[in-house]
Amino acid sequence: MSERVLTLHGITKSYRMGKDNVVHALRGADLEVDAGELVAIMGPSGSGKSTMMNVLGCLDVPDEGTYILSGHDVGKLSDDELAAIRNKYVGFVFQTFNLLPRLTALENVELPLIYGGSRSGRKGRALAALQAVGLGDRIHHRPAELSGGQQQRVAIARALLTEPTMILADEPTGNLDSRSSAEILAIFQRLNDEGKTVIMVTHEPDVAEHCKRIVRMRDGKVFADEKVEQPRRADDELRAMGTAAA
Amino acid sequence: MKVLDSFRSALQSLVTNKLRSALTMLGVIIGVAAVIAMVAVGNGASQQVQSSVLALGSNLVTVTPQALSDQGLRGAGVQSQNLTLDDMTAIQDQLGATIKAIEAEQQAGQWQIVAAGQNWNSRVTGVTEQYPLVRDWGLSQGEFFTESDLRLNAQVAIIGSTTAAQLFGEASPVGQNLQLRQVFTDPRGGGRARIINFRILGVLEEKGSTFGFSRDDQVLVPTTTAQRVLTGRTNSVNSIVIKAESSDQMDATTADVTGILLQRHRITDQASPDFQVLNQNDTLAALGNITATFTILLGAIGGISLLVGGIGIMNIMLVSVNERTREIGIRKAVGARRADILTQFLIEAIALTGLGGILGIALGWGITVVVQTIAPTLFVIITAGTVVIAVGVSVAIGVVFGLYPAMRAASLHPIQALRYE
Repeated sequence: MSERVLTLHGITKSYRMGKDNVVHALRGADLEVDAGELVAIMGPSGSGKSTMMNVLGCLDVPDEGTYILSGHDVGKLSDDELAAIRNKYVGFVFQTFNLLPRLTALENVELPLIYGGSRSGRKGRALAALQAVGLGDRIHHRPAELSGGQQQRVAIARALLTEPTMILADEPTGNLDSRSSAEILAIFQRLNDEGKTVIMVTHEPDVAEHCKRIVRMRDGKVFADEKVEQPRRADDELRAMGTAAA
Repeated sequence: MKVLDSFRSALQSLVTNKLRSALTMLGVIIGVAAVIAMVAVGNGASQQVQSSVLALGSNLVTVTPQALSDQGLRGAGVQSQNLTLDDMTAIQDQLGATIKAIEAEQQAGQWQIVAAGQNWNSRVTGVTEQYPLVRDWGLSQGEFFTESDLRLNAQVAIIGSTTAAQLFGEASPVGQNLQLRQVFTDPRGGGRARIINFRILGVLEEKGSTFGFSRDDQVLVPTTTAQRVLTGRTNSVNSIVIKAESSDQMDATTADVTGILLQRHRITDQASPDFQVLNQNDTLAALGNITATFTILLGAIGGISLLVGGIGIMNIMLVSVNERTREIGIRKAVGARRADILTQFLIEAIALTGLGGILGIALGWGITVVVQTIAPTLFVIITAGTVVIAVGVSVAIGVVFGLYPAMRAASLHPIQALRYE
């Protein structure tokens, strides 16, 4: 039995839009994720998967219910305590990459260590993370000088830097062509093979099929949770593309 | 987050928006420069006033007669003639070593002076032998007259440098003679002239003018000569000037002199003596108050432009926070706390104003140099205090006007900030 990474129980979250319009984004969602899992959270728009992602990433706190992340009850924490939790336990990868345009790849990757951890060894760790995603030769480029796939790899390196207990990816391939998508998915699969917990929010079945487990959401609740017997391997697809191109 | 990182990130952002940073800073630069230059002019004026007063001699206690009053009736514009050379001698004898020097003066009016074939009109004043000591005023040539000249009502004179130049040009006047002439209109018809011969003993050093009056155009004669030969006001003097040992001693000396004169003049009602004693420190303090007000007024005018510059900083910081909402969201997502974001933007504002302050000092200094060159008579003085205050105030402005934008940045919600387009 592997270690429990997170437990969500009876999570509700509603937003007030305008004067009398209350949107119930989550209406009692439950979820448990263990260490080493590769999970896809799917659902149509309005199903609450974005809100789910915000709650999972400690960007937002639930109205009701309990959320235990790596043994911490994060439901009752202050903004600054949540920031510390995000820094330590969560690595974010966004659809739009969200890199700081004025910083080089290396400086972007270093960013989480500025807000946690010490100065010493920061550069070395950032460099190692960039090399791990195959960008060791692009460290002084700014985001604008990198392709979409490369930018997303910088973002993954940044997410890996504080060695978080989970990587949370929001539509990580949404802005990428199929080859770059496959590359990014291959990196996630490799990280997962090394034991990292990865949670992806996506609406593309193609992407979800690369995961070991698919959680489907509808109307603010988890309505299906299935294991994928034989996940697709992005490495195989890359090889196939390589042959086709050749 | 380490301050060093905040600082680096702040500088990076300022360098990225060079033109904007420079223009924003310009407001602070002009403000600080205005404060520095204005206060420098104010300080200079106060220094100038002070040195003008001290040019008359330092640590002076001056006794002058009070307007004549007979049972409540005051003489119109007439000064009583109750201050005498004997008063001076009495003060000198009684105070002795506790004062540095003492002299008594009697104005002898304007006279036509003739010497070496030239003529000139000048003011003649009778003074006593310690005049150079009391007035801190030496001779450029010759010797001052002595006590024995006073005893003898000797017809000897010391002349100012301008007077000397007008009468003798380049030649040395020492040992030469001059004539003081006054022309009367005789009621019986025709003019009559009084002509009195003097021997020139020395020439005063050049001193310049005080409050617009040249002090270099005058003739000094022994007080006794002025009394008996020139004015006929036997024994009375216009003023007795005492030089105290030091500035600290002036109050004590003032009290001593008052005491001696009250006794000598047999005055029982101390509230209405027939003389008044003026302490130079009081004069300096009164003038100091005026110039300090002047300096504060000038500083306040500069301060207003500094305030406007500060508002510019706030405006630009608000724009910057708005523009970088997404950046703030990213930083928060990877673990930045409120204080981290607050510090980052605050340091950015302080860097703008601090650098602006330093450049402002340079500009302000430049302005004073230019002012000094254009108008050499105008004193300008930049003190270390002014510089410290200007930098302190500009940094404080960074804090005050940077705080609100920084707080807005810090309180942004990470989700909204990340979604911001």
